[in-house]
Amino acid sequence: MRERLFSSRTVDEPSRIERAFYHVALIVACIALVTPFLYVISASLKESTSLFEYPPKLVPFPPYFGHYERLVSDSPFPRWMANTLFVATIVTVAKVFLDSLAGYAFAKLNFVGRNAFFLLMVAMLLVPYGAIILPLYAVVHAIGIHDTYFALILPPLCNPLGVFLMRQVISMLPKDLDNAARLDGVSEFGIYRRIILPLIKPSLVVVAVITFTEMFMSFIWPLVAVRDQDLQVLTVGVASMRNMTSVNFGLWSAAAVLGMVPLALAFFLFQRQFQARSIAGALKQ
Amino acid sequence: MNPINAPTPVETVAEAPDTPFAIELVGLHKRYGALNVLDSVDLDIEPGEFVVLLGPSGCGKSTILKIIAGLEDATGGEVYIKGRLANYIRPKDRDVSMVFQNYALYPHMTVAKNIGFPLKMRGAKGSAVATRVAEIAALLELTEQLEKYPEQLSGGQRQRVALGRAIIRDPVAFLMDEPLSNLDALLRVQMRSELLTLHRRVGKTTVYVTHDQVEAMTMADRIVVLRSGVVQQVGKTREVYSRPANTFVATFVGSPPMNLFSGRIDRQGSKMALAGVVRVDLDGAPPLPDGTQVTLGIRPEDIRIRPSTSPDVDVVATIRLIEDVGAEDFVTVDASGVRCIVRTTDQGMLVEGAEVGLALDRDAFHLFDEDGIRIEADTAVVAVPSDSPAA
Repeated sequence: MRERLFSSRTVDEPSRIERAFYHVALIVACIALVTPFLYVISASLKESTSLFEYPPKLVPFPPYFGHYERLVSDSPFPRWMANTLFVATIVTVAKVFLDSLAGYAFAKLNFVGRNAFFLLMVAMLLVPYGAIILPLYAVVHAIGIHDTYFALILPPLCNPLGVFLMRQVISMLPKDLDNAARLDGVSEFGIYRRIILPLIKPSLVVVAVITFTEMFMSFIWPLVAVRDQDLQVLTVGVASMRNMTSVNFGLWSAAAVLGMVPLALAFFLFQRQFQARSIAGALKQ
Repeated sequence: MNPINAPTPVETVAEAPDTPFAIELVGLHKRYGALNVLDSVDLDIEPGEFVVLLGPSGCGKSTILKIIAGLEDATGGEVYIKGRLANYIRPKDRDVSMVFQNYALYPHMTVAKNIGFPLKMRGAKGSAVATRVAEIAALLELTEQLEKYPEQLSGGQRQRVALGRAIIRDPVAFLMDEPLSNLDALLRVQMRSELLTLHRRVGKTTVYVTHDQVEAMTMADRIVVLRSGVVQQVGKTREVYSRPANTFVATFVGSPPMNLFSGRIDRQGSKMALAGVVRVDLDGAPPLPDGTQVTLGIRPEDIRIRPSTSPDVDVVATIRLIEDVGAEDFVTVDASGVRCIVRTTDQGMLVEGAEVGLALDRDAFHLFDEDGIRIEADTAVVAVPSDSPAA
């Protein structure tokens, strides 16, 4: 019998050298990403006087919690955090609901002007945000909701990205599923709620995470739309600390670290939802 | 009329009057822009009947099913379910169940929830749903699978779950859209007989769509053959097979398909023959005028292979291909440029390339006119010879 011409290693499998190269590249990338983060944590745990000492100490010992204490008890930080969480949560919940509902309509229902409306929405994605800030402020001012929570909540709901995503995902669900539900006696809203929503859970989580993160980190619009200190959100508030306390990098770093906590929590909370049940098994393979 | 006193619009077909038919289609049309998908489809389906809509892909058979179910609107024509005009009744109120080509099971629900879903949506109580689900599961041998999700089931089991979801409501009719088309060959045969057994036990009107003529012939009480949205023939399986209405039905129904030989009628006094590539006497055929363009059809099993020198041979042909399908052979022969297939049990006696004679069974001839329409004895036009006494 003829001998095998090639070894058992297939052509696509990387060699040990290639693998080592990938690992080194990944480690360098990880260090580049994690170092600033660790530096901020480190700075938040140092007294302001020891922030610029040479050589710098990466691990402060003993850690100094004074910045955190001052932030929580002696600054409007809790108020900013509460505002941010309130606005981000309301916008996220509303957007997940409205975007999926609109996505369902665009993907599954026949109505006059469906494609034209959808194209219009997609076209909105192409308009740079900077170009619409002033007209948006004019509208918000004209309807009298500037300097209110509505100014922070309503405009972000119009971002069409979620609708676009939802429409694409729902379009991929087989038409027979909603037809079967129609024959089974489910109303149109029932089909959306009972059949479509459970099947697009991973995509809903994606929209939720994108929206929540975006809301949590948005700066320009809250800066323009709200002047009332009681309505200030985290990003604008933390930026304004520069004026309030001259430049206290330790305090700033502590604010940045505390500001990250809700996002990190949200990520760990929703992480498992990314692995929602696939739609395998619904259809003949 | 005062709207307050106006009659309540018909919402369901449940209180429909007595009618001899479960489903009636009257002049059904469907058009997508310039494309005519259905053209004047008329069909009456009796209660308990198993009707198969048979035709090639794109012939409009699934569209008929969707129009009956209310999932698509007809461009014209009427649909009656249990005698009640159903065109404007919502799908859920039409009292029909559908088994989809892609089973359309809800992937996030267990088998029990999938089967019970239609009842739940109609407001049935939890205990009543559970009881009925258990009955249906027992009927379909799914009791062990009730807590599983669709993705954990085999193709045949998923198919049964889809059937269970259709059966549980006890509807007027089941509509089945190629439910066996994606199963492997063995499972398809098994599920075919299971479906038939189920139909006989449940006794419900069933409209079944397929492009597989074997499936149609083995299952149907009546077959409706469709082509390009036009009904070609409606009849019992035997009738469609043995008296095809036109050359399309003749070649679509039956495997291998019917052999067709075209030619002109050659009359020699009272004797009539087909003169073309193949020349055969048409003694038993309805009389036709001399020179009429016709097509002679003959089923593969109605041709005998003989030695080419045998006196009863009608055509001499060359064997091009022998396909052994087990109990018989399909022999493709070339008769002066015309290919035809012969079904024979004379296995092992024939070799490719050999010259053989074909003897055609005179009682099994089918004649079609130049438009491909079947010529029946009572519709044939007899050309009266000019020298006959009647002239």
